[in-house]
Amino acid sequence: MIRWVLQGILRDKNRSLFPFLVVTAGVALVVFTFGFMEGIFMGMIDSTANLDTGHLRLVNKPFYDEEHLNPMDRALTGQNETRNWLIANSDPKIKWAPRIRWGAIADVPDENGETRSQTPIIGMALDLLSPDSRELERLDLKNSLLDGRLPEAAKEILLGYELARTLDVELEQTITLLGQTFDGGLATDNYTVVGFVRFGVFAMDKKMALIDLADAQDSFYMEDTVTDWLGFLPSHVAYKDYKNFKVALQSRLSDLILHPPKDWAKDDIPIVMSVLDQRNLDNLVNVFEMIKKIFVGIIVLLMVLVLWNAGLLNGIHRYGELGLLLAMGQTHAKLVWLLGIEAFAIGVLGALAGSLIGGGVVYYLQEVGINMGDAFAQTGMMMNDVMRGRVTAESFLLGAGPGIIASVLGSLFASVALFQRSEANLFRELEAG
Amino acid sequence: MNNIVSIDKVAKVFRVGDEDFTALHEISLDIEPGAFMSFVGPSGSGKTTLLNLIGGLDQPTSGSVFFKNVKLGELNRTALAEYRRKNLGFIFQTYNLLPVYSVYENILFPLLLDGNKESAVRRSVLDMVDSVGLSDQIKKRPSQLSGGQCQRVAIARALVKKPELILADEPTANLDAENSFQILELMRELNKQFKAAFIFSTHDEKVTKYVNREVGLEDGRVCWDKRRNGSGSFE
Repeated sequence: MIRWVLQGILRDKNRSLFPFLVVTAGVALVVFTFGFMEGIFMGMIDSTANLDTGHLRLVNKPFYDEEHLNPMDRALTGQNETRNWLIANSDPKIKWAPRIRWGAIADVPDENGETRSQTPIIGMALDLLSPDSRELERLDLKNSLLDGRLPEAAKEILLGYELARTLDVELEQTITLLGQTFDGGLATDNYTVVGFVRFGVFAMDKKMALIDLADAQDSFYMEDTVTDWLGFLPSHVAYKDYKNFKVALQSRLSDLILHPPKDWAKDDIPIVMSVLDQRNLDNLVNVFEMIKKIFVGIIVLLMVLVLWNAGLLNGIHRYGELGLLLAMGQTHAKLVWLLGIEAFAIGVLGALAGSLIGGGVVYYLQEVGINMGDAFAQTGMMMNDVMRGRVTAESFLLGAGPGIIASVLGSLFASVALFQRSEANLFRELEAG
Repeated sequence: MNNIVSIDKVAKVFRVGDEDFTALHEISLDIEPGAFMSFVGPSGSGKTTLLNLIGGLDQPTSGSVFFKNVKLGELNRTALAEYRRKNLGFIFQTYNLLPVYSVYENILFPLLLDGNKESAVRRSVLDMVDSVGLSDQIKKRPSQLSGGQCQRVAIARALVKKPELILADEPTANLDAENSFQILELMRELNKQFKAAFIFSTHDEKVTKYVNREVGLEDGRVCWDKRRNGSGSFE
């Protein structure tokens, strides 16, 4: 009987084409929109994680509480011990990287050694020189370099291109950083400007400088000490799963607190956060999830309404056929079930086609992307210049599932009329054609 | 005698606007198994209403219709559907074939409806196609057939599940004289071959030549009930 129904669907274009097109369009729209939204959102999360917070972050609570002041004296010592503990106690998918957040005044001298320009800057120190470091890749520094080169030796610095413009500094020029040491003293050190970087975030382009981790430890007297341990997850891990990784690591922290590295201060309290716990991203996620639900709800409602009407038209188109089935002994319930099967089959076919179309476009956007660098140049959002889609199982489920449900629901609503149809007039109706 | 259908003082009243219209006035009839008979009368005489009641598609206002001693009025909607599915075949004036399916598939359909698998009933369908002389048209769709051929498909569809009763509402009304005779001849042969009772509603005089019994209806009453005697004439 199922084959019979499928044959009817395939042969009778009036019966199947319009509902198929509606489901295909609806599913394609949902899969594409979700894939694109998910891609943009994940791109934003990944940018924030790579530039600033990691997907997970282990930090000393006293440092985090006064992070805006960069309290270097509350950084975590015992770098190697901490690294070993993290590797031993966290999911192997997580790759850990040490970083130092620092702040300083950048002083640019003139040809006489007098201050020509000066500005406060924020900085990040990360492993730029080790051959096995993935930090260059994470920050996409090769592609972000507008001019100059990447650091190749000690005491070389990269500046945000807007910062370089403000300081009126040139490549290979030496600047002086005036900052605070780990123990509260004055730190001064000279760095050679080797490159200008466009981070894609206006605030960072205006204020940010990057130096090698070892240089920072040397300049700020932070031997064996870092302010942050950032954990990075593979891109296929969904943001909804970050919390699981965080909770798993949190459950092991008591062990680290009980058996801390020997150089830790007594009041050091390591805490773990995910990227969503920072920069107000959690609220953004909630809004994003709500938008997704509203969007799916609207699309499903529209599809149900259109398919309901399509079902009613189908009922009129097949009035004689359905009457014949009733006369031949088909029960009303079985007839509705058959129409439901038809609608399900059309829904599945439409969902497959819609997923292919929507998924294809998202896949293209995932691989190629759209460059929106100019549009985002003046924003403060941590977003990639290239907007990419993201092919996820969830977007297919959210597209195909409601597509099939809408098809069946629309058909079932339209089938209500079948239950009200009396057999008493079937002969006359069928004779009327 | 075990009648296949017994109609006992059946009346049917329809409400038309504010007035009652009596379509049937306490009719009583017995129909024997294997009958080949017709209800004859002008439009509005109650022929189709009577077929409706026998087919379990409608309920009488008073009186009872029995199929092999089962009172149809006591069956619920689902049981009536099963009654039609198992015991009845329908033939319509306008054929009512399913346009997107082939000759073979149209004839197969009642068997699928009854829960059979195609592989189990394929032979029966092919034999039935052969019986109505359409073996060379088996893959064609209704739109590719003539009116006479379509009615042959409808007859095969009605008979394929070997029902005990066939209800045919004006089966020759849309056919020319030659096709009408061929169809009636075919139904008479199949009536003998399959032993199914055929009840026609008609006002086509050609049908009279073929049936063994003719019940005349006028204004919802039986005016005559003639049976063919041994010499072939009605009495």
